[in-house]
This record gives sequence, C-alpha cells and structure tokens, in this order.
Amino acid sequence: MPFSKNVLLFGFLLFFCSFSVNAQDNYTINGVVKDSLSGETLIGVTLKFTAASQSGTSTNAYGFYSYKLSPGEYNLSVSYIGYRSINRKISINSDLRLDLNMVPDNILEEIVISSEKRNDNIVNAQMGVAKINLSEIRNVPVLFGERDVLKTLQLLPGIKSAGEGNSGFYVRGGSTDQNLILLDEAPVYNASHLLGFFSTFNSDAIKDVSVFKGGMPAQYGGRLSSVLDIRMNDGNKKEFTAEGGIGLISSRLKVEGPLIKDKSSFMISGRRTYADAFLALSKDSSINKNTLYFYDLNAKVNYQIDDKNTLYLSGYFGRDELGLSETFGFDWGNATSTLRWNHLFSNRLFSNTSLIYSNYNYVIENFLEENNFKVNSSIRDMNLKQDFQLALNNSHNVRFGLDLIHHTIAPGNITASATSSVNEVTIEKRKGNEIAAYISDEWEVNDKFNLVYGLRASSFLLFGPGVFPTLDKDGITTSSKTYTSGQLVKSYLNLEPRISASYQLNEFSSLKSSFTRNTQNLHLMSNSTASSPTDLYIMSSNNVKPEIADQIALGYFRNFNNDNYEFSTELYFKQMQNQIDYRSGTDLRGNTNVESDLLFGDGRAFGIELFLKKRFGKLNGWVGYTLSKTERKFNDIDLGKWFNAKQDRTHDLSLVGIYKATERWTFSSTFVFNTGNAVTFPAGKYQLNNKTVYYYPERNSDRMPNYHRLDLSATLEGKPGKKLQSSWSFGIYNLYNRKNAYSIDFRDDPDNPTRTQAVRTTLFGIIPSITWNFKF
Amino acid sequence: MKKYTQNLILILCLITGVVFLSSCEKVIDLELKNADPLIVIEGTISNQSENHFVRISKTIPFEQSANFNGVKGAQVTLKSSAGLSIAFTEVTDGIYRSPRLRGTPGLTYTLDVLVEGKTYSAKSTMPSPVIPDSIGFKTLSFFGNSNIYPTVYYKDPPKIQNQYRYILKINGKLQGDLVFEDRFNDGNAVSDVIIYDGDDDIKSGDIVDIEMQSIDRNVFKYFFALSQIGGNGGPPVAPANPVSNFSNGALGIFNACTKSTKSVVLK
Repeated sequence: MPFSKNVLLFGFLLFFCSFSVNAQDNYTINGVVKDSLSGETLIGVTLKFTAASQSGTSTNAYGFYSYKLSPGEYNLSVSYIGYRSINRKISINSDLRLDLNMVPDNILEEIVISSEKRNDNIVNAQMGVAKINLSEIRNVPVLFGERDVLKTLQLLPGIKSAGEGNSGFYVRGGSTDQNLILLDEAPVYNASHLLGFFSTFNSDAIKDVSVFKGGMPAQYGGRLSSVLDIRMNDGNKKEFTAEGGIGLISSRLKVEGPLIKDKSSFMISGRRTYADAFLALSKDSSINKNTLYFYDLNAKVNYQIDDKNTLYLSGYFGRDELGLSETFGFDWGNATSTLRWNHLFSNRLFSNTSLIYSNYNYVIENFLEENNFKVNSSIRDMNLKQDFQLALNNSHNVRFGLDLIHHTIAPGNITASATSSVNEVTIEKRKGNEIAAYISDEWEVNDKFNLVYGLRASSFLLFGPGVFPTLDKDGITTSSKTYTSGQLVKSYLNLEPRISASYQLNEFSSLKSSFTRNTQNLHLMSNSTASSPTDLYIMSSNNVKPEIADQIALGYFRNFNNDNYEFSTELYFKQMQNQIDYRSGTDLRGNTNVESDLLFGDGRAFGIELFLKKRFGKLNGWVGYTLSKTERKFNDIDLGKWFNAKQDRTHDLSLVGIYKATERWTFSSTFVFNTGNAVTFPAGKYQLNNKTVYYYPERNSDRMPNYHRLDLSATLEGKPGKKLQSSWSFGIYNLYNRKNAYSIDFRDDPDNPTRTQAVRTTLFGIIPSITWNFKF
Repeated sequence: MKKYTQNLILILCLITGVVFLSSCEKVIDLELKNADPLIVIEGTISNQSENHFVRISKTIPFEQSANFNGVKGAQVTLKSSAGLSIAFTEVTDGIYRSPRLRGTPGLTYTLDVLVEGKTYSAKSTMPSPVIPDSIGFKTLSFFGNSNIYPTVYYKDPPKIQNQYRYILKINGKLQGDLVFEDRFNDGNAVSDVIIYDGDDDIKSGDIVDIEMQSIDRNVFKYFFALSQIGGNGGPPVAPANPVSNFSNGALGIFNACTKSTKSVVLK
C-alpha cells in the first residue's frame, strides 16, 4: 500500500506542482461531521472560515471535509439544514483534526432565523443541482400516501414526470434512460415497480438525494441528461431504533443500531405490498391462484476501523411478481451491492474505493402446454471506482479518479419443454467495458469568482464473442463478422470537458455559467410510450455510435430576507447527437438483430427555469416553473424535419406549500400544471378489410389536454415524550377530481359504426389515503 | 389499446386494494387536423380460383361519417413474374374485380394502379401454402375474467421464414385479424391462439370461421405495425402509418397470399 500511495502522490504532485508552490506555509484542518444523536455522517454540510475574508468548503458524500488554511485565528461556522449551526473560534498553528457533531433542530421549537449566512447556493460554482431534503418528502402529499423521492423530485423545475403517477422522469429534454440513477453508487436500471407507478426507493432507507441536471461534475458520467445520486442511511451508531409504517399499499419496517458502539452499525429496511393477500381469500380459483406484489429490501453495515479507514457494505434487492394462475408468470427486479473503503492517505488526501455490482433481470413464463416457454433477460454490471479528493491549498480542491465498468447484457434466452411448439433460442450476449478517468479542480480564484473545471475521458470497448453485422443506412446487413471471446469489436473515446463558474455580484446574488459534454454508451430500447419491465438495453457498437450531449447554461441566483428566500433562474441550451428512434413496426421482443430497426438522429432542447423557495418558518415551500422546447430530427421521420419529442412540454409549473400549524399538526399541499404531452392524433381515416384505420400526419404535432392537479395532506404527530412515537398521515390526491387524460384512443362509435370517436381514459380521480407511522 | 388500459387499471386495483371508482372512460370532443385526401389501395390475390378484388379509396376527415370513399376510373393491372398480365374491371365505385383466376405460389405479382394521372405500383410474392390441421378453443382467464379464444393447429414448414395472417368471423361477423410469424417455432407443430379484440365473445353454439393466410414478409410487417398502433401485445407505441408496399405515397397494402378457411361450431 505505501508504494501505491507514493506513486499516486508523486504522479499527482507532478501534475499539480504549479498549484502547490505556496502550500508549504499552510496547515490542514480536516474531519468528519456527524449527527450527534445517530452518529450518521452528514453530506454537504457547509463549513466557513472567516478571518479577514471568508472562504469555505463542504463535506463530501462520506461526511468528510479537508481544507488548507494559513496560520491564524478563524471564526468557524458550520451549517446544515435541519441542524443547529455551530459557531466557534479556532486557531490554526498546526494541522488539525476536528470532528464535529451537529444537533438536529428540534422541530417543535420555534424556528429562529439565525444571523449567520446560509448562502451556499450563491457562493458555490456548481449549478443545475438540486437536493431533496428528506424531511420535506415526509410532508409532501403523494399518490396512495407512498412517500417517493422520484415523485417529489418531479416537483422541481427542469425535471418532469414521465406520466400520471409515474416515477420515471425527464430532465431538460432528455429521455428517461438518459438519467443515471445511483443507489450507493450502484446503477439501478429499472427504478420502478408496477409499470412505473412506484419507485424502487424506500425513503426510510435513504439519507441523501442529489440530482444534477446540468453542470455535471467530472466524477459522474455515462448518461446524457442527469445524475440522481441516492445515498442510503449508514445505521444508527449510538442506539437501536426501529421505525415503520402501515399504509394503503405497503407496510414498511426499518431496524438500525450499533454493532460496536461508535465504531460499527447496521441498517436494514424492508417494504412489501400486501393487497395480494386478499386475492387468496377469493373462492374463485382463477383469482386465488394469482400472485401480484412487489417488495424492496435495503441493508447496510459499516465499520470504522480507525480514524483513517472506514468500510461500508450495502445492498438492495427488490422484485415485482405477477402470476396468472396456470397461464402466465412474470417477475422482474434489481439487485445491487456496493463495498466501499474510505481511506485517508493524509489529512488532505481522501480516497474512496468502491466495488459495485448491479443486476437487473426479468423472467416471463408461459405455462400453456403446447406452447410453453420461459424467457430470461438480464443486464449486469461489475464496477470498480477509485476516487481521490485532495485539498491542495486554500483555493484549490482537486478530485480525480478512475471508473471501470464491465457490462454484460443477455437480451433474451428462450427455453421450452420438449412438448412445446416453441424452439429454444438464445440471443447472443454482449460484453463491453466502459473505462473513464477524470480530474477536476474547484478553484476559489478570489472572493468573488469560483471555478470548477475538469475533464472526463470516457472510452467504450465492445468485445466478442459473437457475430456482429455491419448495416447500411436502411438497416440491411451488408456484411457480418464473427469475433472470438475477448476480441475487440469496436472502441470509442470521448473527451468530456466540464466547466462551471460563478461570479458573486454581492453577498446575496451571483451569476453562474457552465458548459458540459456528456456521452452515453448504453441505450434503452423502448418503443412504447409507457415504462415497461421488458425494456431492453443495448451497447454502442459498430452500428450504434455513442450518444453525445453538449449543454450550455446560464444562471442568476439571489437570496432575499436574510437568506430566508432563495430565488434562482437558469437558462439552458442542449444539443444532442446520435439519438435513437425506431422504424415503424419494430418488434423488440426476442429481436436478434435489433440494430437493424434503429434510426439515428439529432436532438435539441432549450428552456428557462424559475425557482423561488421559502426556506424557513412556519410556512415554507417553493414555486417552480419551466418554459421549454425539446425536439428531435431523424432523416426517416417526416422527411428529416424537426418534430416535438415526446417529453416536450411548453409550460410546467409546480407549487409546494408546507404549513406547520401547531406542534402536532402539519398541513401541506401541492399543485401541478403542465402542457399536455406531444402526441400524434389522426388527421383522417380509411377502410381496410372493412375496419377503420387512421391516417397519422407529422409526428407529435398534437397535444394531449393540459394536465393539472391539487393534492393535500395532513400529518398528526403523536404526543411528544413517549417512548413510542407515532404519527398519522392523511392525504387526498387530485382533490378536485380533475379528469386528466392518461390516454386518448380512437374507435368506431358502438352505436353508429359509421362514426368514429375519441375516448379519454382517466387513471386516477380523487384518491384518499391514510398511513400510520411509528418509531421507537 | 382498450384491453391494455383495462388490464392496467385492473392490475392497479389489485395491487393497491383500492377500487378506482373514479377511473373512467369518456368520449370527448377533440379538434383534429384534416390532412389532404390520400389514395388508399387494398389488393389481394390468392391461390384460390376466384375473382380477386382491389379496393381504391381516399382518406376522409375523422369527423365524417362515410364507410368507404371509393375512387372511380382507375386502371388496375395485375402482372406476374411468369408473364401474366390482366386488367381489373370496376364493379362499383372504387371496387375493382379480376376475372376468375388462381394465383400460383412462388410467383411475384405486381399490381399497377393508374388513378388521377399517377401510377402506384406494388409487388408481393405468394408464399407456399400452409393449411390448418384443426381449430380448437382455449379458455384464458385474467384475474377472474375468462374468455374463450379460437386456436389454430398446423405444422410450420421447417427452415423457411413463414408469416401467417388470420381473419376471424363469429356467426359471419368480422371480429378482427391477427398476424403471426415462425420466429420462435420454426418447423414445429404450432398452435396459434387468436387473442382478438373484437365486439363479440364466443359462446356455445357460435359458428367460428377462420381464414388462414400465408403472407410475405412486407405484408406481415405492414399488418404487425397496424396492430402495434392498436396496442395489441403491449403498451401503445407512438403511432405512425405502417410502411406500404405501394410506390408514390399511397396508403394500403397489396397482399399475394395463399389462403384456406375452416369453420367450426363451439359445442
């Protein structure tokens, strides 16, 4: 280890020697910031050092911070939403290890607006980032009372729901597969249950949620639009606690506690739906033999070996099961696990090594005797990640690292019994490696100007074995070549510059700007308009080029009224290359040559996002509004004209209000409005084999009706001071019973077959919900 | 589409234990665009000795209540790769009829339509015939909803890519058509379950007619795309016009197929 440590340090110092000239005169302060009650590390805590001028840093994903300061006296202020701020004097005359414990704000106390500044959003160069506060999620009303980070996320500007009640989302004109969803760094390939109505993230098990929609930091890559970085709870290091809830849809239970006090802890959290239990009560054998449920299991253990080494092991397992008595079975789900090692090489070089496994698969079984079959499909990742963070001196904070991912995609393996009419078929597996290296520097140029600049080099290598066809522009195979195991088929290298800058106009306002390039080598094959468990991924290949997106963004950030109000506006423009669509009549099921059915084109998106948030007080909440345009262009669709992408929505508005009426009652409400989706409606009809067939004009040139909805919820906390704390949540989804269109279909009028009619289907009218939560 | 949405709602109800009294279907008024009328050609030639028909029409606005907007005065010519060339005669507006003749499997047929000064041309190759051995019935249930579906039993010819189309009638009333291919069961004894989305359920005593066609690849793709837009077999795709085998932008399809019809009564 000392050898590798020295090599790394040497290489690093060589690279950055120009910056370290004056580093000798300074000392390092570092440490970990934790919750004083549970011992959980806190992510993104702001630390400010004030002497003649003010500078600062924040804790990383493991609660660690490190900063270089010249000798002297400083006022240190430490702040984090939901916690009491820490203000203390420190004097720096040698290196200092300072671990901090923050006391949670007792929510029952009157909230006092502190005089110290909470203007991190102004100072920081990072833009296009949003953090979800988990205590906010608790109060925001949701469908069936199931708390869901992915749905709360959709209330932020620039992030749009993929459909009614859907946990899928679109970020700044990107499609759902252009979001990288990470759970403790492991990619989750299908982040929803039950055709998209519930996300796979049980909010009990989640500590921190950040989403990057622009200005993507160089340590993230592999997707075009966004990164959703979700971190699980580590587990209470001080005492055993259990909490859970009983809701309409599911029940939840979480247990956590110390294994070795202050050194090691665990957390385990589960959730399962139980409506299927009622199916079994039915006397009808065609009902009671059916199964239908989903569940999630999250678990994590950590062990702090010493001040310099901590190990974390976390895992997720979730599945949906659907079975129709003797006819049909279908189940799908994700499994991920992450092993991490945090290590301090020195008081200013932090390292994290992660070994990650992720697997998504589905199994479909047909039990009909003459044509029984079983389909197996999976995507599996093995991933090694090495990240370093170096506090170079008090104006440079450097991150660099490596990311190696080995993907294996098994698109489909069909097996059948000997008596079945179905032949056994295996679609060739595909194997590929993504290798990325990155370096970025967060540079406080002066009091006013901050810069984060970096570069990510992403390469993709596609390997045999297998037969790889070469296709012409019409999808016809012109030649075909067989590769042996491990033989390189095709490789790509992309350089992705990432730059964001902020200029502080004054204490409470700043201008920010960013340019980022992102590339993507895994492409989701889904020609349907709904999320489906059978969605299939393919890799870049000799026929499919990496998707590329360039985004420029400009923002103005301003805080009002002692930082109680936060306002921001961001303007973005995005250009996308090598986007994917399908030829008409493409059948993705068991398709051995899916690439021949693909069309490649361009995309562009631009928009303006406005966000106003009231951060403290009895009444808080936010307003988000987005005005945007998203288009696609393919040579073979509408003669190469630009057309509206399915995620194009002109206006998108959300309002969230949370009101703490008394010590025990909290009321909240959300209102959303958006322009209807871009769709294609018929512009005529004709007869074919005596049936009505519709003529479709240009792609997505029509609109669904506007969507809007008002939700309410109320939470009643139990009497304080008891050992068992419990609360009731009441919710009403779609209070004024708006008949929003889930789909619009066209059919012959049943009463007069010479007429045709448009039929609107509404999925959710007004839906009340109730949940009981407990904690002890 | 209808079935997909209904099943989705049913699954939601079951998993949530909540009855969506409020989820509903409603006929609504929509402002739809009106495209300029386009030529639609539907032509079939089979291996049966009979009159073959070509139907030529124009698209009409969505709101309009007319069944078939036939186009008069077209010249319709059928040619084969064996040198045949015959003209169709117009019987009523837009309906054109050939003399009695039998198509030959293996030949490629070309249909030329000259109408309003433009020629539309399509080619289709008649596959070898595949005859159903028998018709049976299967009861499938979806969470307590049971339905009876006809099933066609036949032997698929090995090592050849085959495509089939079924046209289902119950008591003489057309219910729908469905296409299959042998991608997963090449060369086997096959049973295709006709899961149709028509108006009528099959009851005891009903007469069920099934016409089985062997069709070429392009015709299969056309009808498959048409069924995808209708939402058969999964969630709906962004609708687009199926790719026609006619040149010059005509809608519709020319289908040179072999066919045989079987009729059974459900006991």
